[in-house]
Amino acid sequence: MNGRLIAHLLSVLVLVLGLSMVLPALVSVWYGESCARALFLAAGLTGIIGLAMMALSGRPADRYLSHRDGVAIVTGGWVLAGLVSTLPYLLTGAIPGFTDACFESISGFTTTGSSIFAEVERLPRGVLFWRSLSQWLGGMGIIVLSIAILPFLGIGGMQLYKAETPSPVVDKLTPRISDTAKVLWKVYVLLTLAQILLLRFGGMPLFDAVCHTFTTMPTGGFSTKNASIAAYNSLYIEIVVIVFMILAGMNFALHYKLLRGNFQSVRRDPEIRVYLLIFGALVLLVTADLYGRTYSSAPEALRYASFQVASILTTTGYVTADYERWPALSQIVLLLCMFLGSMAGSTGGGIKTLRMLLLVKHAYLEIVRVIHPHAMTVVKLGKTAVSQSVLRSVWGFFILFIGIYVLGVLLMSALGLDFMTAISSVATCLGNVGPGLGAIGPMDHFGGLPLAGKWVLIACMLLGRLEIYTVLVFLMPRFWKD
Amino acid sequence: MKILIVGAGEVGYHIAKKLSEEGQDVVLIDKDPVKIRRISENLDVQFAHGSGTSPQVLRDSGIADADMLVAATDSDEVNLISCLLARSLNRHMLKVARVKNEEYLREKELFQKELLGVDLIINPRTMMVETILNLMKIPGASEAVDFVGGKVKLIGFFVTDESPFSGQKLSALRGFEGSALVAAIVRGHQIRIPSGGDTIQPHDLVYMVVRADSLDATLARLNLKAGPVKNVFIVGGGETGLAVARALDGKGLNVRIVDHDGDRCKKLATILEHVMVIRGDGTDRDLLREENAGAADLVISVTGDEESNVFISLLAKGLGARRTITRVSKLSYMPVVSAMGLDTVLNPRMSAVRAILQYIRRGRILSVTPLREEQAEAIEAEALETSEIVRNPLYRVKFPRGAILGAIVRGEEIIIPRGDTAVKPKDRLIIFAMQEVVPKLEKLLTVKLEYFG
Repeated sequence: MNGRLIAHLLSVLVLVLGLSMVLPALVSVWYGESCARALFLAAGLTGIIGLAMMALSGRPADRYLSHRDGVAIVTGGWVLAGLVSTLPYLLTGAIPGFTDACFESISGFTTTGSSIFAEVERLPRGVLFWRSLSQWLGGMGIIVLSIAILPFLGIGGMQLYKAETPSPVVDKLTPRISDTAKVLWKVYVLLTLAQILLLRFGGMPLFDAVCHTFTTMPTGGFSTKNASIAAYNSLYIEIVVIVFMILAGMNFALHYKLLRGNFQSVRRDPEIRVYLLIFGALVLLVTADLYGRTYSSAPEALRYASFQVASILTTTGYVTADYERWPALSQIVLLLCMFLGSMAGSTGGGIKTLRMLLLVKHAYLEIVRVIHPHAMTVVKLGKTAVSQSVLRSVWGFFILFIGIYVLGVLLMSALGLDFMTAISSVATCLGNVGPGLGAIGPMDHFGGLPLAGKWVLIACMLLGRLEIYTVLVFLMPRFWKD
Repeated sequence: MKILIVGAGEVGYHIAKKLSEEGQDVVLIDKDPVKIRRISENLDVQFAHGSGTSPQVLRDSGIADADMLVAATDSDEVNLISCLLARSLNRHMLKVARVKNEEYLREKELFQKELLGVDLIINPRTMMVETILNLMKIPGASEAVDFVGGKVKLIGFFVTDESPFSGQKLSALRGFEGSALVAAIVRGHQIRIPSGGDTIQPHDLVYMVVRADSLDATLARLNLKAGPVKNVFIVGGGETGLAVARALDGKGLNVRIVDHDGDRCKKLATILEHVMVIRGDGTDRDLLREENAGAADLVISVTGDEESNVFISLLAKGLGARRTITRVSKLSYMPVVSAMGLDTVLNPRMSAVRAILQYIRRGRILSVTPLREEQAEAIEAEALETSEIVRNPLYRVKFPRGAILGAIVRGEEIIIPRGDTAVKPKDRLIIFAMQEVVPKLEKLLTVKLEYFG
């Protein structure tokens, strides 16, 4: 492994984080908050840590990145970002304990959106802004991770997208990351600006509009209001947020193609069709379940059903209704949404539409093979055949995802949590969603969980975000041997 | 008229044979001296030894004063280069090329005047696929030929013991007047153009001219109204098999395609959406049973191996398949295979020969379709003012024995003639005739079998 280069690149990341911490400090100054000093201190400390790391790593002579280095940077980067950004929470005193601060900051950078705060409206605006910004920055990381890095490393079947990436260089990791990042971040920033404008247009205060956009685009879900989006009680705002959650749950390579006027390839994309179909079908199902039971009018049922389904399916995690009062079917649907997740190449989490699609197709063809033992079956995505190695990778991912989920649920229930809390907390964190059911429902928070439980969930958030494989390789002794 | 034929393979040989029989000046070019020697014993044509891609060979064959070049080798590249050379050596000659590769065929501009200037492209595979699809529309028939853009159909079918036709005199058949007409009967190896006194026997292959709009009713009367084809079993995943499978893909049919090659199967499975691809040997009886080929409405045998195709069709028939289509490319096998009781035997080379001959003999005679190994022909011709046939009711016209007027096309109207029908000038006539009576027919129509009229 090229340890020097890894350390050097991670030091750059820390410096960037330190610089971005200046923004919440300035917000604090603008609003005349007393925590501005602490936020500047956090930015300064982070900067010093970054500079120290850079000095220690020296000037790396060898610029070559191997697959293994790529994995180390990805995982190391997320863990480091999570650790460093506890500083604003700890120094301002917004969160006194390290575990809670770590939970909140990992939840931010993995764009999960689970929070330990019972009351967010009491927090200073500087801290709120940092909370949202951390998700927005996490989202930037995820786009590059899922479209440029994972396809290249061939993780979890994402090698399928190797050719999809908008980059002229196909066979080298480094130029690929920077080219792809430039192109896709433009798209990301463009969508962000559009949403801020649209939310402002709906009468949302500028600060709230920026913060909510910063947590919609990365499908994060942190809100500046205790009641989340429900606080505005505006149909317009809800529609804007639904649309942007769905957009954020789409493959960003498709957004890029759309912006370049390539509608054909978007229309032909098999995954987007299934993604929208799943969304539409589940909205109808939940609406039918709610109508007449929870809500007396059909439009009202549709309004709340579509927001909640969009929010959970895209793994954002905003709420406009206390879905714990909904009938069992609707709750189960939302729980399943946490597993399904959004499209591959989006900022969303979960197993992802693409993988589900491939798994279902493969399973169906296996049934066909029972009837026709000599049949040559090929799993296809659109018009191209999916290779065996991709399918193996996807099955592996699925087994690991479910395996880790089961292990997590066992641990959580061993810690004394009730049934609903145990099964939903792991689902929501592994899927990077946000709220769960039971003690951590849409109107509750994660602060009351036992200390060990929080660490289990932190691990789940990282595993889910980094597509499991990239974290698990660190546990392999072989990874460390050269 | 002088015609250069490049390639003395089966296609080239048969064209040369037909044309020389009709008194044309034919030069056959091939680079295989053995082939040339063998053919020269049978055919009265000139030979040139050498490649069709050699300008010198073409010059020596007298391309300068030739009227037409037929490039009929098995190689697309040789055919195309021959045409290109012909274009530069003799600007005014007509060029016919046999082209198989779909990639070339897609490049339409390649064949236009400015570049290759090919007047007719013959693609046996496309023709074969079209024939198969056409046959599927008429499940009871073993042959189907379209005339006048499909408004008139010629269907061929085998008479079974239960058929209402069986043992009947033609004059005793009632109910088809004005909508259908028996044009030819094949018994054993012999084809005959019938007159009213002929009797139809079981196992005869009967050709009927039918107006397209009364096709259904006619098929029903003939007990040929088989259910629609739903279950199709294609053996052989080559280009023909794939093209048929693609044409049937997504039409709601249950289509299966068998090939023995694993990589080819993978490719087929990638291209085809709803067609099931099965890897295995089509001649393996157990495989056919396991995949229930016996329940198929149609088994299409198009593997690369002639003998296998025949064998597969016989196997499938034995397992109970309703109908089979068999590709046999070797012309010498045709008579034997026809006698084996296979429903439909298609020969891509024969179709190529037909298409080329049709093109060559265009003129006042609008088109000619050879039937059953060339013993009889369907001729499309225009009735001239001067002809004896015009204006009198047909029963008073002295039609030569061995020829029959199958249909009259008058503007948009299609008439299946009866005894009291009269032909008018400018009518287009579809006549079925034995080869030997064609000269008499020409006299009657006052048309010489002109070429390039």
